[in-house]
Amino acid sequence: MSKIQLQQISKQFGETQVLKAVNLDIDDGEFLTLVGPSGCGKSTLLRIIAGLEMQTSGNVLIGDSLMNTVRASNRDLAMVFQSYALYPHLTVRQNMATPLLLRDLTLWQRLPLLGRLASGHSSAMALINSLVDDTAATLKINHLLDRKPGQLSGGQRQRAALGRAMVRQPVAFLMDEPLSNLDAALRVHMRAELAELHQKLKTTFVYVTHDQAEALTMSDRMAVMMDGHILQLGPPAEVYGNPLDRRVAEFVGSPKINLFSAEVDSAGRVMSAGVPFRRRLSVLKNTAGLSVGLRPEHLQISTCAVEGESWPLRIVYKENLGSDFFLHGTINGSSDRVVVRAAPSMVSEISIGDDVFVQAEEGAAMAFGQDLRRLAFAEGQ
Amino acid sequence: MAAHGQNAGYWFVAPAILLMVLILIAPVFIAAGLSFTDYSLGNPGFDWVGTKNYAHMIGRSTYKKMLWATFIYVIVVVPVSIALGLGAAMLINSVNRFGNIYKTIYFLPVMAALLAMAIVWEFALHPTLGIVNKTLTDGCGTWVEGFFSWQWIPWSDEQPSWYERGCIRNFPLWFGDKTYTLWTVSFIGIWQAFGFNMVLYLAGLTSVPRELYHAASMDGATKAWDRFRLVTWPMLGPTTVFVVTITTIRSFQVFDTVEAITQGGPSKSTFVMMFAIYEKAIQHNLMGMGSAITVVFLAFVLILTLLQRYFVERKVHYS
Ligand SMILES: Nc1ncnc2c1ncn2[C@@H]1O[C@H](COP(=O)(O)OP(=O)(O)OP(=O)(O)O)[C@@H](O)[C@H]1O
Ligand SMILES: [Mg+2]
Repeated sequence: MSKIQLQQISKQFGETQVLKAVNLDIDDGEFLTLVGPSGCGKSTLLRIIAGLEMQTSGNVLIGDSLMNTVRASNRDLAMVFQSYALYPHLTVRQNMATPLLLRDLTLWQRLPLLGRLASGHSSAMALINSLVDDTAATLKINHLLDRKPGQLSGGQRQRAALGRAMVRQPVAFLMDEPLSNLDAALRVHMRAELAELHQKLKTTFVYVTHDQAEALTMSDRMAVMMDGHILQLGPPAEVYGNPLDRRVAEFVGSPKINLFSAEVDSAGRVMSAGVPFRRRLSVLKNTAGLSVGLRPEHLQISTCAVEGESWPLRIVYKENLGSDFFLHGTINGSSDRVVVRAAPSMVSEISIGDDVFVQAEEGAAMAFGQDLRRLAFAEGQ
Repeated sequence: MAAHGQNAGYWFVAPAILLMVLILIAPVFIAAGLSFTDYSLGNPGFDWVGTKNYAHMIGRSTYKKMLWATFIYVIVVVPVSIALGLGAAMLINSVNRFGNIYKTIYFLPVMAALLAMAIVWEFALHPTLGIVNKTLTDGCGTWVEGFFSWQWIPWSDEQPSWYERGCIRNFPLWFGDKTYTLWTVSFIGIWQAFGFNMVLYLAGLTSVPRELYHAASMDGATKAWDRFRLVTWPMLGPTTVFVVTITTIRSFQVFDTVEAITQGGPSKSTFVMMFAIYEKAIQHNLMGMGSAITVVFLAFVLILTLLQRYFVERKVHYS
């Protein structure tokens, strides 16, 4: 059993503080995704776990043993790089065999030519070859084993890199945006394959991505990072449905959550564009720059005015995704776009420039205070 | 009209082709032609002598020595200067500070005119006044001699060591003793070539992706040797091919040191090809012989270039 624990990890590059006291416990066998915008320090954190980068302060523990001074090669982790980092002069088979050769053969056995004479060489090689073949079969790349990386497509290279990480049974797989060089269709396909692979291997995956969709679809838990902090850590459904920070709410979900600026009166009643929300805020702190978030699927279009949380909307754009439409509109001529999800049957009657009404699903609104933290609505009316 | 239009292209390239033929190709063919004659500059005519000049090169001991000296020089200078250049490049690449200072210092010999530096070396290696032999002599009778007698190594033989013999008689005439001269000249060649190779390797090292080193670390390459074998050396393949070719050609062309210091001697032990061409063609005015050596010289260089082109380059470009 080997948990990975990060305690108060900070990292500075010269003057810039990239990671600010990050704490993270990664359970054995879990698929944890680090997600966040470009430059937030995800890769840096992953490389600190790997031992390729040294933290400025804080501890890295793997299975309860302190790893701060242990070199990358001795941490028993495997990594898949964004650029795949395959050895270009070696065939896929040799690439995949490298971690085994380096770890399981003695220096003497690894000598070119002479190594063949060393005792135990042939049996060790036979074992390595069979391990490589097994892994290649899992990844369906047997037919590529004798090619060099330069002769592979992006997706095939990605599999080869995955294979090199998988031949050993490492404590955990670290992956730094392994799918970002693939085309959209293949990316979606590999997403499913990786998740399946995780099911099969039951090894810890630490997966870095800037694509929130990857995080939502694959992970057991996701950690949303921004500016060197982990803003929220939890299962994807929770992070999506119950964001604790406005930045998390904005980052996770596509299309983005709609944010309305709002005011609050002394009784805790929230108003946006002249329309009051049904529920009141329970605590009246940090309410100066209050905003209310509503996801596109929590808004409904209707052609006539309705009671309650409802605003007039002028349609400016219709986005057709086949199964769904996203209607873009403005409220009271403000420049902020509001995006609403609607069924195709509904949309056929609406054309650009129409004035309709948009209504919020009850209890779906989320309020965020000036410090961007979530503010709780009181239960009931 | 159409035919005219099609031929127009030839007229445009004609000046370039003409110049190329005149400046680059014609001299080679003229030299090749002259190598079958006994032409001397200033003579009104010449006689065809067939392959006599080439026969001399195989038959006469002077020319055998020439080929031997050139061969040894190349065989010594190329690998040693490349190994040192690569080593220095990797060391400089791994230090964070003073890298530029080292680069400048090691590159100095490349920038310095070899002719001028040859004179400095001639002084330094002068048998009695030179700093090298002076230092060696000063060590005699002190612990230095004791150390270099190797007597402290348990199973060393009782024979006096090289250093002890130097103390008893005298230290070598670096440029006068034919057992040493070629090696001394080779040493100066290494001293000069290694900075150049280092700079080429430094450029090559900057293009090795850092992620490959990281991948090697993750794969368990703990030892520097493993990382070198797995990443550095293969990634430097194209650079190495280039460095080997350039250094070999430059070593074949060694001339300044020999001309300035040894004049090909003693007893033709440093009679390298370039110097032979110079001596035969210019000093002795034997254009035929000089041309023959030139042709052989060009053949060597051509063969090397072709070898590089067709065998090695294919192996080191991986995409
Ligand atoms: N070696 C370095 N020296 C200085 N600054 C660095 C170094 N490596 C990373 N940084 C900085 O640290 C910050 C975080 O980098 P990091 O690579 O972790 O980002 P990331 O979250 O992985 O982004 P991306 O999604 O674009 O890969 C960036 O602002 C980057 O400029
Ligand atoms: Mg990154």
